[in-house]
Amino acid sequence: MKPALHNFQNKKRQFLMIVAASKPFQEIKQMLSGFKKVCVLGCGSCVTICHTGGEKQVAELAAQIRLAAKLEGRQVEVLEDSTLRQCEWEFIDDIKEIIKDCDAVLSIACGVGVQYMAERFPRIRIFPGVNTTFMGGPTEQGIFWERCAGCGNCILATTGGLCPVSRCAKSLMNGPCGGSQNGKCEVSQETPCVWNQIYDQLDTQQLLATMETIVPPKDWTTGMENHPRKMVIEHLVMKK
Amino acid sequence: MANLYTKSDKKINEEAPCILACPIRQDARDYVQLIARGRFSEAYRLVRERNPLPSACGRICTHPCETKCRRNSTEAPIAIAWLKRFLGDNFSEETRKNFTEKYPEKIAIIGAGPAGLAAANDLALLGYSCTIFESNPTPGGMLRMGVPTYRLPRTAIDNDVEFIKKLGAEIKYNTTLGADITFDSLKKEGFSAIFISVGLLESRTLNIEGVNLEGVLKGVSFLHEVNTAGNAKIGKNVLVIGGGAVAMDCARTALRLKPDKVSVACLESRKEMPTTDFEIEETIHEGAILYNSVGPKRIIGKNGKVSGLETLKVKYVFDEQKRFNPAFYEGSESVIEADTIILAIGQASNLSFLKGQEGIQVTRGGTIIVNPHTFSTAVHGIYAGGDVVLGRGTMTECMAQGKKAAISIHNALRNATLKDEKWAEKPAVPDIAAPKIALIKKEQKQDMPTMPSDKRLDNFEEVELGFSLNTAVKEAQRCMNCGAGAFVDDNLCVGCLTCVRICPFEVPKIKKGDTTAYIDGDCQSCGLCIVECPAKAISFKTPLEDRGKDSLEAIFKDKYIQGVKPLIINFYCQYSAYKEEKERATDNLLVFHFRRIGVLGLGKVDPSLYLKAFELGAHGLLITACKDDECHFCKEKEWVEKRTKYTTQILSGLGMDARRFQIQFVSSQNGKEIIDIAFKMVEELRNSSI
Repeated sequence: MKPALHNFQNKKRQFLMIVAASKPFQEIKQMLSGFKKVCVLGCGSCVTICHTGGEKQVAELAAQIRLAAKLEGRQVEVLEDSTLRQCEWEFIDDIKEIIKDCDAVLSIACGVGVQYMAERFPRIRIFPGVNTTFMGGPTEQGIFWERCAGCGNCILATTGGLCPVSRCAKSLMNGPCGGSQNGKCEVSQETPCVWNQIYDQLDTQQLLATMETIVPPKDWTTGMENHPRKMVIEHLVMKK
Repeated sequence: MANLYTKSDKKINEEAPCILACPIRQDARDYVQLIARGRFSEAYRLVRERNPLPSACGRICTHPCETKCRRNSTEAPIAIAWLKRFLGDNFSEETRKNFTEKYPEKIAIIGAGPAGLAAANDLALLGYSCTIFESNPTPGGMLRMGVPTYRLPRTAIDNDVEFIKKLGAEIKYNTTLGADITFDSLKKEGFSAIFISVGLLESRTLNIEGVNLEGVLKGVSFLHEVNTAGNAKIGKNVLVIGGGAVAMDCARTALRLKPDKVSVACLESRKEMPTTDFEIEETIHEGAILYNSVGPKRIIGKNGKVSGLETLKVKYVFDEQKRFNPAFYEGSESVIEADTIILAIGQASNLSFLKGQEGIQVTRGGTIIVNPHTFSTAVHGIYAGGDVVLGRGTMTECMAQGKKAAISIHNALRNATLKDEKWAEKPAVPDIAAPKIALIKKEQKQDMPTMPSDKRLDNFEEVELGFSLNTAVKEAQRCMNCGAGAFVDDNLCVGCLTCVRICPFEVPKIKKGDTTAYIDGDCQSCGLCIVECPAKAISFKTPLEDRGKDSLEAIFKDKYIQGVKPLIINFYCQYSAYKEEKERATDNLLVFHFRRIGVLGLGKVDPSLYLKAFELGAHGLLITACKDDECHFCKEKEWVEKRTKYTTQILSGLGMDARRFQIQFVSSQNGKEIIDIAFKMVEELRNSSI
């Protein structure tokens, strides 16, 4: 058997799945007020897949901005474009010619993309059009769930492949807590209790005994407590 | 295939079977799709682009397109030919006024039948001056001499031929090759190429006792006499020998001459008969008696006149090698009484004009041998096509030869390599995958209205009355747009799987090892995925479907539109039973405040197009979508609801009055209901401060 990934060789794109939610339009309108020429810039990666930052969203948002301006009797020119990934210098460099006359760019990429744009085009005001929300994926068409908190110290090996850091309201290491009821989390009846799921999973794998092991407090310094984080792949680093 | 409306065919990798089945590669799917959208003149233009004889073809074509139609899997094929007839009968096109001949060469065409007319049409369009020499006083060839008027009224031929004449082709009547003109005289007159399309003018005869008795008629001559001179004489009891289309024509023609009895006897069993079921049924329906599986042994006579046919029972018609080789049961003789026998067992050529042209090779069956690619005979500059080459061809096969010969003549004269890419081989869209048949809504085929059978036999009036506009649209809307549905651009697809998950027909797939979606020929063109694709990677393969965009822009190009207040744009689904009168009535009543945009299924319309309508200056939008059980695609109502709700949210976020965007699930069929809704909306908007 070939490894599964082998099937995808020569294919152009693979994604992290960063999920972002559209900002309320009122907020966007406020950010853009006063600008005469605006470019709505989409990103062809994660945010396209979660339907908030792709070409389609660019067209919809641009139409909304134009309509809002018309209703208020303002004149605004709205350009529409997209990049393959806004988190690559090479890809956003292509956009220079298009946005050079713009007063502002509304980037509907994740926070990474917005910052790349801001760094590359310091003279142009760059605004975020989405709230970057979490790392996750669609569990069914149109429904996205958080699956990873980027804690920098993965413990999925001991939890049956289900992450309590991102999926437990309290990020408990030894669950479930007393708030777990009928398999749901007390925080929201919509949210499954991940520790309940971990229990079931370990039961299936006949590893229930591992539940007995008390996990010591997690070292959170690898996570969000310690940003900005940096990763270096030595052999790829080029001498300047 | 590329045409006026599909332009680039790069996206079409599998072609619709109806198009591939047609000898002239008529763009059947595309003209049917245009009719479905009510774009009749464009549909006519598209037909005419490919087909020099649309009115005639829409009536008597054997329509292999319908045999291959993928709707056969769900219930019945689209009435493609009848739809073409509908166009030919009701629409026309002006030819270019300043038509100029580009090239100095003159082409002579012998015979104004389907092949000759097709060649003249295409050569004229290529820029040549052509002259057709026709031995009869009227054009059409076998269409006029052979096909009875109740199937093909002569005005239909005249209309088609008139158009070809307007293109610049000249027809010289009463001019017979071999008698009035010769190959040499044509050359002397300066014709650079000659295309022989004289057809098969003689009836084949039987080599049995009694064929020379008085009362034995030849099928082609009989039809010719009835159709042109109108002086055919038959007795009281007519028997037609033969089982093909000409035999049926002879029988039905004879019935109209009011004998006591008309029968048809043929070798073939009912299933083997070499004509369409429809023709056979109509013949029986009109009163002819059909004797299957009988072979003629001898014609019996009394006093030199026919009194009957002695027949033998047929063992088989085709032998094991499937060759025509009939065998009979010995001692199975019986007699069918008749005082007139019409032989309709095939046609033969009359090649007497070839005297002195020994270079032109001829088969034993009396057909001219040509190069199958160039249609050139062995003599330089002389080409041939149509029945005289095919032996026995259909109208479209003959036209195809004429068209191909035209290109070949052009290539030879110009030393060019012009190619008609439509004849290029392409794979056909395969049959609908079995599990999908259940997902496709069954749509009943529209019947052709016909003259009541008790009235038919008094005259030679056309039996099939033709589709009304409503029927034509309804029939056309059954078309599944095979091969021209949605298309995923590999370079844009991000593999998000949205299309895969939302398609009501389960068509989009990500093939194993692929990272992008693929939509095959089973696509029904509902357009849901096109709207939902976040990367805008999906589009229709042909620009024929604009999902309401062009219509919207066209509305605002009208310079008086600014004065209309309130201006309401009504997006409506064209599928729910198109009724012309009601549509017109609705349009007339709403003409001032309303502009209507019809789309084949509102699932194709992007919410951003609704925003755009407001941006362009609409004061209100009324979406009238089909009710649940009426949806052609079965599941679009849900999507229309979701999207309009989403649009409503956006608009209310912008502070827009909710009355400006309304959605109603009403049947477009019910004109009154729509008018009530529309008037209410006009009143509401007039009273608000918009």
